[in-house]
Amino acid sequence: MTVLQNLPRRGPKGTEPSMVIGGARPRDEKTEELAAKIFSEFKSDFRYKEYVLGCINCGECTTGCPAARFYNFSPREMLQIAYQDDPLVLLDAMQEKIWACCQCYTCNMRCRFGNDIAGIISVMRELAVRNGLDSAKEVLKPYSRILLAVMTNGTQVSPDMIQPDFFADWGPFAVAKQTDIKTLRKAIPIDVLQVTDSSWEVSMQTSLELFQIYTESGVVDMLKSIDPDLVEMIEDIVDEWKDEFEEMKAKYGVGEA
Amino acid sequence: MASPKILIIGGGPAGLSAAQDITDAGGEAILVEQEGFLGGTPKRLHYSLLAPDLKPVEEVLDPLIDSVQQSGARCMTGAKVESVNSGRNGFTVTISGGGKKVEEKVDAVVVATGFAHWDPHKKYEYAYGVYPDVIDFKDFEKMLSDGNIVRPSNGQVPRRVAWLLCVGSRDRQVGKFYCCRLGCAVSIKQAMEVRRINPAIDTYVYYMDIRTYGFWEDKLYWKSMEEFGVKYIRGRIGSINRGEDGRLIAMAEDTILQRPSEVPLDMVVLATGMEASEGTRETAAMLGLELEEHGFVKPLESDSMPVSTAVPGVFVCGTATGPKAIPDSITEGSAAAIKALNYVRKRSIKVQARA
Amino acid sequence: MLNADQIRDVINQRAQARTFSDKKVHDVREEMWRLHDKGELVVIPIEKKNRPVEVETLFGWKKRIPTDYLWHHKSCGQCGNIPGYPASLLWFMNQFKTHYLNEPHQTSCTAWNYHGSGTSNPVALAAVAVRNWHRAYETGTFPLIHCGTSYGDYKEMRKLLIENREVREKVRDIMHHMGKELAIPEEIVHYSEWVHVKRNDMAGMVKMKLDGITAAVHEPCHYYKMVPEDAIYEKDTNGGQRPAPPTALIQALGAKVADYSTWYDCCGFGFRHILTEREFSRSFATLRKIKPMVEEAHADVAITTDTGCVTTLDKSQWIGKSHGMDYMLPVLADVQLAALAAGAHPYKIVQIHWHSSPTDSLLEKMGFDVAYYKKDFNSYIEELQRGREPDMLYKPHDEMEKYFAVNKGHVIMDN
Repeated sequence: MTVLQNLPRRGPKGTEPSMVIGGARPRDEKTEELAAKIFSEFKSDFRYKEYVLGCINCGECTTGCPAARFYNFSPREMLQIAYQDDPLVLLDAMQEKIWACCQCYTCNMRCRFGNDIAGIISVMRELAVRNGLDSAKEVLKPYSRILLAVMTNGTQVSPDMIQPDFFADWGPFAVAKQTDIKTLRKAIPIDVLQVTDSSWEVSMQTSLELFQIYTESGVVDMLKSIDPDLVEMIEDIVDEWKDEFEEMKAKYGVGEA
Repeated sequence: MASPKILIIGGGPAGLSAAQDITDAGGEAILVEQEGFLGGTPKRLHYSLLAPDLKPVEEVLDPLIDSVQQSGARCMTGAKVESVNSGRNGFTVTISGGGKKVEEKVDAVVVATGFAHWDPHKKYEYAYGVYPDVIDFKDFEKMLSDGNIVRPSNGQVPRRVAWLLCVGSRDRQVGKFYCCRLGCAVSIKQAMEVRRINPAIDTYVYYMDIRTYGFWEDKLYWKSMEEFGVKYIRGRIGSINRGEDGRLIAMAEDTILQRPSEVPLDMVVLATGMEASEGTRETAAMLGLELEEHGFVKPLESDSMPVSTAVPGVFVCGTATGPKAIPDSITEGSAAAIKALNYVRKRSIKVQARA
Repeated sequence: MLNADQIRDVINQRAQARTFSDKKVHDVREEMWRLHDKGELVVIPIEKKNRPVEVETLFGWKKRIPTDYLWHHKSCGQCGNIPGYPASLLWFMNQFKTHYLNEPHQTSCTAWNYHGSGTSNPVALAAVAVRNWHRAYETGTFPLIHCGTSYGDYKEMRKLLIENREVREKVRDIMHHMGKELAIPEEIVHYSEWVHVKRNDMAGMVKMKLDGITAAVHEPCHYYKMVPEDAIYEKDTNGGQRPAPPTALIQALGAKVADYSTWYDCCGFGFRHILTEREFSRSFATLRKIKPMVEEAHADVAITTDTGCVTTLDKSQWIGKSHGMDYMLPVLADVQLAALAAGAHPYKIVQIHWHSSPTDSLLEKMGFDVAYYKKDFNSYIEELQRGREPDMLYKPHDEMEKYFAVNKGHVIMDN
């Protein structure tokens, strides 16, 4: 242990030291390997070349950034990290800072260089999930119920999700509704909204097509690295639906739906 | 051999300088200016003092205007070149003005049609045209010339004035990729003028980098801090909003502290960039001159032949070929004059030899 | 705002950096039609029956807003906890005898999830978009997108599908496996754009008092910051410097729009933050939006045009009381305000009881007999509890549509 331990160090494989303040710290070999893997996936993503062009450090991205007012985070710093070739610094950002972004796209609208900063942060988030990083696991922990909804009926929130224990700070108006959510939903003059377990009633054919998209596009595999139990549960649900769907085809005499 | 007759389009610093040198060398200059006076954009927009020595614009340009007028050059103000046709023996030009059209035969043409200030309405986050206290270079130069620095919204003396550099320059969003070269110097100069007129007004310059090259560094940048107390904030304003009391709120990032900041201001001056003037674009089309990628006239060789063009007998000088300062425009006017004179002389030798 | 040469410069330059795309692009819509002609994709056209109205966007480009034969692309957040939002929209369409379909055969755009958690990818997002668009295509209607994020996401997906051959081919394969084609609508249209072009019709229906109402507008980020060149700007609204919807509507209805210092700020929704970083969302919404709206703009109501913004601005206020910030500013969508102005039932149609910030004083100021409407709604609720069939804006779907997308274009107009 020396006092110099926390000083910015040179990056791996002879790269120049990071210019990012408080740059990457010494890591073990395993971390360096992971960083190198993520770095190469990052740079070879087709979006990298489109989103990250360069930066003249004008700071306009940060002027309108909501997250920069609350967290030790700025879109300019994220773009600089994305632009500089330092795998450990990239990994560092992916372990925490990328999750501060609000995805409001104010930085993109402002950027006079034409970078897509919100977009490149999304790419980093995708990579964090795909590589099962701790930060992604942590972030997705309270998210399973939402993921379940998104994967099965393709909507993000359901009326019965807005419970006092989940949204205590939404106040008594919101809480009072919970007393009879079913009747309150019935009082909405739109048939497909008169449900409580999803935003609107999604037909089974639609749900199955959505899951097919998730399967064929690799999202199901991506989720396995983060939450294999959840994926198993979703697959069970979908299997049951597939059986039911066949029964209904017979019942209604629908051929190729 | 008759004395060379050369048409100069544009009566700003570059055109005036060309006219003077042509007549001084025994040539005949016809200077056509669309405005009713000579002096170009600095005069038209009532520029105040000029960087870097804070000399009044009259002190710099009036002697030049006077000497051109006395030199025997034909100055046609309120006039416009309607058409130019090139023939075996030079150009036939039609000039309109004062309700009349005249035809002239000239041996060469010098284009000195200048620039326009970029229109900041196009950078909508800065609310130019929405909030009266957001003004641009030309508005503020006029204000300085009138010696009356007040908030347009309420006529009161501002307490805090900020300059925002690079508006309509170095910005892919608005299709202006280049540096205007002068925005830094002019902003600093304006801030120094404000402090000299009224030291109670605080002045701030928001910048991403200060480009006061050459002698401007100490004469403007350093001096503005040491002698005038102008404050510099590294980072740009991203949007200008309306504050509670009608003041402006500038949202910026201080890129040194690496934090977003919000500052109440009484006035913001947008350091608007330079683009080719409408006259430059029209004249280029009329003469068949190619424009370079930023919309200015393309010189034959930007490095070695900056005042020549691909059209024989047509020369170009000043801000028609890109952003530059008044001394540079004056220098280029002289350069275009000598190039044009040499072109006519060489051609007449050729004609004589053929005869 | 920009002239054609300037925007061409901008886009050329951007396109040059896009080495992955197989073609340099100017207006993405032009390239879309070229790909349509080549058989690479199918453009869902705006037809005469859609009765389009032309508007101007940021760079002076024209955009056509279809006003009839519409396919409601619902918003999961609106339907989940602000149901008066779509109900007000459908109510207006009934008033205007607009033909529309509101189906169970739709998923959300899933972009809320993507922007929050990163658990998706471009191919999946694009395929989800195309699957929904295709449903409008096969029913002969045009998609009208309720959510700002869906609108922004779909514009990005359109661009991606047009510019990136690899993604396009993958998505086309997935669609073919479902017996669908790669269909892209001629324009991506937000419901607030429909409201905007219908604003004078709505103004003609005003029954309540609006001249004493001051509104603070929150412009949704994903309406005008994502793919900015597609948002509506008009010279006469906000000096042409800020989007025209919903300001032009509010003014047409007769209310006043007041400016405030954090106009450009986001609402604090943050996608992930609204669900799992509540401390951020509620602090940001209260301190950066609600406070200036009340203290600077002296607003009676906050008006916005997106799901997340209504939710965040509305639901984040109550907790502020614990810090002495008792603003309680009503938050409504543009179309809800318009419906109230036209005298729609505040509870049965505008479903204002789903909102957390109190709206009684606003309703009273507009001239509603709040006690009467509350009593009326409460007795309606009691009747529903006793088994009465609910009132509907249109004839409900057949039971088999719970399973199958069998409706091939029977457009619902009224009930």
